[in-house]
Amino acid sequence: MNELVSELPWLWAGLVAYAVATVMAVYAVAQPDHDGALVVNKFRPFELPVLGLVAVGVLLLSVALAERWMRIGHGPFVNLFELLVSQLFSLGLIYALVYWRVPVLRPTAAVVLPIIWVLGLWVLMIEPTDSLFPPTYHNNWLWVHIGFGKVFLSFCLVGAGLAGIILLRRIERMKAWFSMMPSDAVLDNFAWRFMVLALIFDSLMLIAGAVWAQDAWGRFWAWDALETSAFLNWLAIALGIHVRFSYRIPRAVGAAVVVAVFVLAFFTYFGTPFFSEAAHKGVV
Amino acid sequence: MVSVLRALASVRLTVVGMLLLACGSVLSYGNPEAVSIWVLVVPLAFLALNLSSAIITNPRIHRRKGLLVFHSSLLGIVLLAAIGRLTYLDAHLEIINGATFDAQSLLDLKAGPLHSGRLSDVEFIQGRYTVDYRPGMSRGATRSYLQVPDGEGGWREQVVGDDTPLVVNGYRFYTSFHKGFSPIVVWTPNNGQPEVGTIHMPPYPLFDYRQANRWTPPQGEEIKFWLRLNTGISQDSAWVLDGQRATGVLVVDSGEQRVELQPGETVVLSGGELRYQSLTTWMGYKVFYDPTIHWLFFVSVLGVLGLSYHYWTKVSMNSVAGVNRRSLDEPGQNPTDRSRNGGAFRSAQDVVKL
Ligand code: HEM
Repeated sequence: MNELVSELPWLWAGLVAYAVATVMAVYAVAQPDHDGALVVNKFRPFELPVLGLVAVGVLLLSVALAERWMRIGHGPFVNLFELLVSQLFSLGLIYALVYWRVPVLRPTAAVVLPIIWVLGLWVLMIEPTDSLFPPTYHNNWLWVHIGFGKVFLSFCLVGAGLAGIILLRRIERMKAWFSMMPSDAVLDNFAWRFMVLALIFDSLMLIAGAVWAQDAWGRFWAWDALETSAFLNWLAIALGIHVRFSYRIPRAVGAAVVVAVFVLAFFTYFGTPFFSEAAHKGVV
Repeated sequence: MVSVLRALASVRLTVVGMLLLACGSVLSYGNPEAVSIWVLVVPLAFLALNLSSAIITNPRIHRRKGLLVFHSSLLGIVLLAAIGRLTYLDAHLEIINGATFDAQSLLDLKAGPLHSGRLSDVEFIQGRYTVDYRPGMSRGATRSYLQVPDGEGGWREQVVGDDTPLVVNGYRFYTSFHKGFSPIVVWTPNNGQPEVGTIHMPPYPLFDYRQANRWTPPQGEEIKFWLRLNTGISQDSAWVLDGQRATGVLVVDSGEQRVELQPGETVVLSGGELRYQSLTTWMGYKVFYDPTIHWLFFVSVLGVLGLSYHYWTKVSMNSVAGVNRRSLDEPGQNPTDRSRNGGAFRSAQDVVKL
């Protein structure tokens, strides 16, 4: 085995576990929900296997990350490959925790896991090139910033999973897919609850990021491309919350806003640092 | 009066203000210098007015402690940011090894109209510095050695660099990647007194290939300087940039003459005599002052705590009593009564755990 890519087998194994969990979750919701005259919760038998597979995926990805960390001597904070693997790990981990603690949300796996798999496909197309750790990254606030950011994105993802169900239910063929889930009204409530949680962690991420930026670049905020994108993300959640309680917006529109916030967060994470030439860019 | 405040407090105006702020941010995206600050100031001022009115008149905010703390902190952040803009200072500094900081030597100085810090009291002496480079010319740790007053009439050494600034009277000095070399020269004009000066060469190793500068003595022809350095620079292996270990030949070009000087050597030029005394280094700093930064941190953390408290109380109140019962009763397209959902929506406790 080439020492250069020693983490890859673990990564692939982790992705396989996620892939099987994804197929299983989609298969589970796509089944008919009638067994003769009896209405069944078709997701129930798959609940544990899906959780188990995601947990195994998280474990395998953590080995991949540890392996790489030991090989190149620093954490997965710098290039796109590292960011994607580390998000695959943290999104899986935090989603698994939510899935475990809030059973009613479990069928969201059929929406959430395919989204996680978009990252999985992306990471497979990227060279696992080694990165160089910039001197300004030796800072404890980096950990705090990244940690809060991971929780923020994960809660956005859960929100997007719930909102996704509200939207998918509008499609005739998928109407019955999520029959075991509560009504749109409940899902909408849950989704926005997760968005408020996301706002809390987004705020913490911005604060920790500002402290780090002050240390690293001698200014706490400079409207660089990544900061502006992150601020717009924060503002979009606040805007969504206020629009929702001051106008009677249709649920589908509310759900689309949640999905849009997630897409914006996705772009902020995986797009902006690599498009912009700002100091914030992965490698300084 | 109250009715005016109520009108100003409308959450619909909040939505408008937020949309305006989003537009202002999009305009400033990645290029705030080129865009008028007003695209941000106007929406922020509008939101601050709207929010102050809402905090006063809207019981949905001021009766709920968490929301009150959160929204007040948002207002606090806007106010502090405004104070920060009025009192800040932002500048660059390039200082030679052995020189004492002089407030007059700041470059690209920008300051708020109400800036009034004690910059002239800032004292430190620049010493040597080292910068680690890894293979591929990737910059590693910077260590800049300074002498700072020890408070007892003497000096003590302080090492700054990367994310460890020198902080004096609220002024923060951050090493920048701009740093380089300066040959020290002595110019003795014909029939005049010798004068010592330094030739400030461009940043190194950024402009490794262009270590040149020019100077015209008071009476004499323009002199072109070129510094041929030996620093151990390497593309392929790790090396340390250390001015004390570097050597440099100063190539002097004036009129018809072109000579290469080693430290200690002299050349006679038209109008005077030039002696290349020694090679030293200069260090670049970003200088930053904003008296609000600690307050901003404190107020924003307080705001998040307020929002978290609000969330906590809302979730624990709503989960059992409100949301679930309401939504269970609500006629949705997918009824959620237990017989139909097969028990997936097990109990309100599932939700409380959230
Ligand atoms: C600009 C940044 C702002 C952010 C991030 C923000 C965020 C929030 C959040 C998270 C909530 C709690 C919602 C919930 O519990 O579901 C809330 C509630 C509220 N906000 Fe803001 N807010 C902002 C500005 C404003 C402004 C300018 C006003 C002025 C009118 C305002 C008025 C309100 C009101 C009245 C509520 C209570 C709604 C309720 O009854 O639950 N907010 N805000």
